[in-house]
Amino acid sequence: MFWKRRPLQSKSEVVLRNIVVAFLVLHMGIFLIVPVIMAFAGSFHLWNPLNGTYKWIGLDNYVRMFQYPTFWTAMINTLVFCVVVVAFRVLLGLSLAYAITSKMTTKKTFFRTVFYMPTVTPLVAVAYVWKIMYNPQFGLIDQILGVDINWLYDSAFALPAVMAMTIWKDFGYAVILFMSGLMSVPSDYYEAAHIDGANAWKTFCYITLPLLKPTMIFVVITSVISYLQAYVPVMVMTDGGPGTATFLSSYLVYDQAFVKYNFGYASAIAFFILVLTAILTVISFTVTGEKPEKRRKRA
Amino acid sequence: MKKKLWTACLAAVLVLTLGGCSAETAGQHPEGVVDTEPDKGLEVMGNHVTYDPNHLVNDGQPVTLEWWLWDAPDLFGQMAEAYMEIHPNVTINIINNPWDGFWTKLPLALQKGEKGPTLFNVHNSYQHLLLPYMAPYDIDLDQMQEDFFTAASHVIDGQIYYTDFGVMTGAIYYNKEMWAAAGLTQEDIPKTWDEFREVAKKLTIVEDGKMVQAGFNYNGDFQNLMLGVPYQYGGTIFKEDMQTVSFTGEGMIKTAKMLKDMYRVDGIGSEDFGTDAAQSFGQGQSAMVYKWGHFYGYMNTNYPDIEYGAFEIPTVTENPFAYDRYNGEATPGINKNASPAQMEAAQDFIRFYLANTRIQKELCMYYSLFPASNALRDDPEMLENPAIAAVSEHIEDYIWPGPMPSTLEDNMKIAAQDIMYNDKEIEKTLKTAEDIVNVDLANIDFTSAENLYYKYGQEG
Repeated sequence: MFWKRRPLQSKSEVVLRNIVVAFLVLHMGIFLIVPVIMAFAGSFHLWNPLNGTYKWIGLDNYVRMFQYPTFWTAMINTLVFCVVVVAFRVLLGLSLAYAITSKMTTKKTFFRTVFYMPTVTPLVAVAYVWKIMYNPQFGLIDQILGVDINWLYDSAFALPAVMAMTIWKDFGYAVILFMSGLMSVPSDYYEAAHIDGANAWKTFCYITLPLLKPTMIFVVITSVISYLQAYVPVMVMTDGGPGTATFLSSYLVYDQAFVKYNFGYASAIAFFILVLTAILTVISFTVTGEKPEKRRKRA
Repeated sequence: MKKKLWTACLAAVLVLTLGGCSAETAGQHPEGVVDTEPDKGLEVMGNHVTYDPNHLVNDGQPVTLEWWLWDAPDLFGQMAEAYMEIHPNVTINIINNPWDGFWTKLPLALQKGEKGPTLFNVHNSYQHLLLPYMAPYDIDLDQMQEDFFTAASHVIDGQIYYTDFGVMTGAIYYNKEMWAAAGLTQEDIPKTWDEFREVAKKLTIVEDGKMVQAGFNYNGDFQNLMLGVPYQYGGTIFKEDMQTVSFTGEGMIKTAKMLKDMYRVDGIGSEDFGTDAAQSFGQGQSAMVYKWGHFYGYMNTNYPDIEYGAFEIPTVTENPFAYDRYNGEATPGINKNASPAQMEAAQDFIRFYLANTRIQKELCMYYSLFPASNALRDDPEMLENPAIAAVSEHIEDYIWPGPMPSTLEDNMKIAAQDIMYNDKEIEKTLKTAEDIVNVDLANIDFTSAENLYYKYGQEG
């Protein structure tokens, strides 16, 4: 396919295209496909690349995974984390985007910049700052709320505390995406709704929301995928604790691979997450009535 | 022209960025010169393990060694300098890597054989990763054991691949000002845990129902106490097979209960009173903490104005099976795949390192370690360090469980948090931790050294 030349393409364009595609294929091959294959094979082995251990153990890693109580804790935490954070991201993102794009709002650029700022701030720095804010002795949050809660060391509050930080950090991304979605809705629709006597709420429900469906699906799916991979906030703020109260699936993978050097076991968990992500993506498309094939055809 | 300037700037930024990711090379030396003088006119060092500097290394021909470490490049660099002064044909380049990446980078570098570092600092908890790449020391075993009191615990199949230059363990650190303000004197230093709890009560200050000064703060150290205090009850961490743990022994459960009661019943501290005992002690909020020897350096660096002392960990009986566990700081390992010239120089350097009492002393002083070298045991200068003095009287009665893989401490930390913060049932939580650790240990080549302790078999 790289060598097939269309009449309107110049030679330099073809060369450039081939170089770019070759680099991408190489990059994907070396840094994605090969490691994924290695990890898949490794999930059937007792594997520690640091001392050269690589012993076939069949499905033992997968069996052990399902018997390991921390695995289930991590999966439940991940589910709660994903549902809550994605819900807040969508709700906040959509509400604020709607408010900013409203005709009544002035200084749109200012608000857009302010809301997007946390997204471009490094996650590790944000997590450290929030960790200090959650300190029970001198933290800002206890002082403002007038409470005495050890946020990151109380199992009732630790995961919600990490989720709150993540929501604050990430909602700006959804704001920008929803804003672009809202701005691309043709004004004719709104004018027609207005002539038909639709109020603001009805216009939002029957015009805006349906037309924002592709954006919504994109935000939800990319959010779910990124939160299934979230481990940095946990590593910085709680180390998975107290106990295993804030273990997320990807933190478990990190802990098994880079703390305990059980690369085989970590690979098994990573593969489980991969399959889960794929299933969730398909479910998202099914629930929203948007099939991947349809999207491809439309494109 | 503008474009070229931009490109050059970008390239420079890239190079600098990539440079920032690399390890710090602390002592890059030019290639050594040919050494033709075997007689250095220097005295032989050491007691049993001796080092005679009056010889040529690698027939005086230049040889370069890389020495990987994760800390104190200046200190180790001085040792390398001292050796290179004697043998100018040997060049030792110090490569300092951060601790976090060290244990991933080092084994991978050693897999490269001769191209890997010839010398590298060892932490015993990573012995299982490093041993396949290590060469045994070319030093008589009996001589080693005569000079270093922990050497026997590092014998593997009749050979020694590394030993300890010093050992570290826990002690109680107390704020002298708070101690005096509570009307306490040196006479009040507690010997038993019951006495300790009473002293801690006197040091605790609660105002309007809110704690303002903790008598004892172990936040962040619960797991360390859990892996040490149970020995006082006569229990061991490892079962008789020395390869599986037992976290549900009487000592372990009683220790967990005692620690929990200190906060919940005695009210001498709180899990919500700061998240880090060391910081709380440094900020003058906690009167006593349980810390290991490196706390001395931490306080000197971060809180030099706090006046504090240290005393030995209290016990449950007058003559406990063991006071606490200790851990050693290890001498460097040698890459078994080093070239013959590098191997000869590395073995010679290790002998210099072990026979040189000054080096041993500097290292122990730097890290606040009780010296493993018997020659330094009663050194008055070392005993001025409160961290060393506190443990010196009964150092033989501290036990080394072996090069414990990190899974033990990691899972005990989880169990400790579950007990303290999540109010989970002690026995059930410790059993869960025990099961997880034993699954992990089954996949690691590890044998405990508890049975090498001189009182092993006499436990309660």
